[in-house]
Amino acid sequence: MHEVALAGSILEAVRAEALTRKPARPVKVGVRIGEMAGIDPDSLAFCFEALVQGTELEPLELEIEPGSADELEFCYLELEPT
Amino acid sequence: MNRVAMEGKVLSENERAATELRAEFARHGVFAVNLIGSPGSGKTALLERTLESFDPSRRVAILTGDIQTDADAQRLSRYGFPARQITTAGACHLDARMVRRALEGLDLAAIDLLFIENVGNLVCPTSYDLGEAHKIVLLSVTEGEEKPLKYPGIFFKADLMALTKVDLLPYVPFQASVAEANARSIHPDIAIVRVSSLLKTGLDDWLEWIDRHATAIATV
Repeated sequence: MHEVALAGSILEAVRAEALTRKPARPVKVGVRIGEMAGIDPDSLAFCFEALVQGTELEPLELEIEPGSADELEFCYLELEPT
Repeated sequence: MNRVAMEGKVLSENERAATELRAEFARHGVFAVNLIGSPGSGKTALLERTLESFDPSRRVAILTGDIQTDADAQRLSRYGFPARQITTAGACHLDARMVRRALEGLDLAAIDLLFIENVGNLVCPTSYDLGEAHKIVLLSVTEGEEKPLKYPGIFFKADLMALTKVDLLPYVPFQASVAEANARSIHPDIAIVRVSSLLKTGLDDWLEWIDRHATAIATV
């Protein structure tokens, strides 16, 4: 249920990071989610896609990697030179 | 394509607010606990029995979260301690910013114990640190023994499980020992108390746990 809020937090962080990397544009963000984090990866992916649509970040991709325990962390951002 | 490392927690904004709250609680010697359980698991009822048992001089405050209505704050304010409602207007969990806002104008220096009753939900509140010293999960005997296995996150993070409504055990096909074993399979060190808010049984164990951990904080 709170996956929308999480997707929003991810987008905010990507926006902030992208500002410091201009003019390259972000194309993919990687996060690590542990089994005890209480996050449904499918639901997060769905919310993320919905939130990205129609924004300047489209078509930003989300990659979810399995993490340990209750981990809920960023791991990388892929940028494309413009 | 250029890949750069990105670090930090996904909920970094909440994390920051929670860290500030935790520091503020520490500064004022406030022992804060975050009560999490399904809707109807008996969070408010347990708090009612708890407040009822307290001496009026006890320095305690309560924040209670719900999606709508201030019904719980009304129930909890009958005991003479400050009780404030947080209505989340749809959000399925409390976050640290909501807690900070709800505490505005409350003198933390005059409080030793803060109960934060989360929105009824076993999933979403798990991810949001509210600056509390401990998360406490409530599981009622009408819910099923397998809940710790189905919702492992909260049982992993909670330091205490209160098995509630144990007065109903003779009438429901719920085996308390199985539920407790399931919780321990997720979190071997989890403390467990069995309570009935209706019959007021097991409250001594519950209050003893709270007092023991509150004292540990106070003397740090």
